[in-house]
Amino acid sequence: MSLLALSFTLLFVIITMLVSVWQKLDLEKDIAIGTVRAAIQLLAVGYVLQFVFQSENILFIIIIICVMIVVAAFNAAKRAKGMEGVIWRIILSIATMEILMMGLLLSLQIIDATPQYIIPLSGMTIGNAMVACGLFLTQLKRETESSKGEIETLLSLGATSRQAVQDVLKRSVKFSMIPTIDAMKTVGLVQLPGMMTGMIIAGADPVEAVRYQILIIFVFTSSSAITSMMLSVLCYKKLFTKDLQLKDWR
Amino acid sequence: MTPLVELKQLMKKHWDAQKKSELFSDVTTTIEQPERIALLGKSGQGKSTLLRILAKLESVDSGTIYFNGQLMSEVDSRIWRMNICYVAQQATMLPGTILDNLMISSKIHNRTFEESYARQLIKAVGLDHLDWGKHAGDLSGGEKQRIALVRSLLLRPKILLLDEITASLDQQSKELVEQLLFKLHQKEKIGFIWVTHDMEQAKNVSERIWYMEDGTLASDVKTSVFLDDQASSPTQVKL
Repeated sequence: MSLLALSFTLLFVIITMLVSVWQKLDLEKDIAIGTVRAAIQLLAVGYVLQFVFQSENILFIIIIICVMIVVAAFNAAKRAKGMEGVIWRIILSIATMEILMMGLLLSLQIIDATPQYIIPLSGMTIGNAMVACGLFLTQLKRETESSKGEIETLLSLGATSRQAVQDVLKRSVKFSMIPTIDAMKTVGLVQLPGMMTGMIIAGADPVEAVRYQILIIFVFTSSSAITSMMLSVLCYKKLFTKDLQLKDWR
Repeated sequence: MTPLVELKQLMKKHWDAQKKSELFSDVTTTIEQPERIALLGKSGQGKSTLLRILAKLESVDSGTIYFNGQLMSEVDSRIWRMNICYVAQQATMLPGTILDNLMISSKIHNRTFEESYARQLIKAVGLDHLDWGKHAGDLSGGEKQRIALVRSLLLRPKILLLDEITASLDQQSKELVEQLLFKLHQKEKIGFIWVTHDMEQAKNVSERIWYMEDGTLASDVKTSVFLDDQASSPTQVKL
């Protein structure tokens, strides 16, 4: 795509701003900031990726993946305000998932061990894991509040913290996986995923594009499951005080 | 002899109109052996909070509690709750059937389910007609309350903390529960602290009364003494 063609895409932004002015949505400032940020962030990433792809230095790949994990963790942690130390738990969950996923993909030679494969696939799985963590924590908070009676009944009967929140954790993990499972069921029928679409637009064979899409969907499913389950194991004790009382999590 | 339970200078604050104020203070008393205690007082005096503190579900802001001479904070919360078991005002049924609810403490503590004891208790509270395969969530409020009581009794605690557990029961069921708890105290030495607003019930079930008023334990006397005082007092306690 030429730079001129790319600049024409600003028309879409202008249309959005005009709608905002016309409907008095007061979104012009946010749209302008968003447009500039998106352009700068994506262009910067483009140049960084170009550099990393050319250098083929493993250290750069690791740094990029670490940055992705940390940014994802900070974003997901916003859903668990008031739970101390949650950021480290999210980082550990996503990092473990990433090591497992990449370890399998590379050792089974499903993908080539080059930055062109490792970085985009890592980005997608980490992004998906971030959404799963956010959903898990949001639901955990809701479930803990709505199931306070159930949890305290179990505590009153001498349950451990794990026993008291076992069902709450199960329901929260299940909830965090709904988008991934729904996407898996409807892919190709309702939506054509971004990765596949991108490959086809870039000139790849559609069947080859589909193969990669299948791979990514399966990786997404297990990455959501692994991350949420690990986060649940790492987080549940944080719901209680040292005297095994349910914390007021606000 | 070491008292069974000892409360020393308990003070609890609560949120009142966006600021913390004292709910109660200077609550000091002892329970020498498993006793039948009725905890009385108007609403908002902190009776339920005191029960929750004794169940270790809430903490005090200051003061100390001992069980068999051991400081509350030094006793494992699970062991504490197995000895001093709380039955909430709003009975919460756990997901599953009546049987699942009755078996829960045996599952938690990896013990054999005492089916015949459970049947005895269920019969004693007037629920022997119930099919144990029934979904617990479908029970009436009064049935849930009695199942919750039996569920706690199966833990074989030393003291029960009962928070208005007969409030949603008809007169007959209420009497059955009172008789059962009286019998369990006589035979198995299970004591209780029973929050109630029913003076008649307090008279029937208790041997001692804790009366909370003006943010403290205003009276801690034998039930007969409390009732005599009431009879002779120009300003009778209204609950």
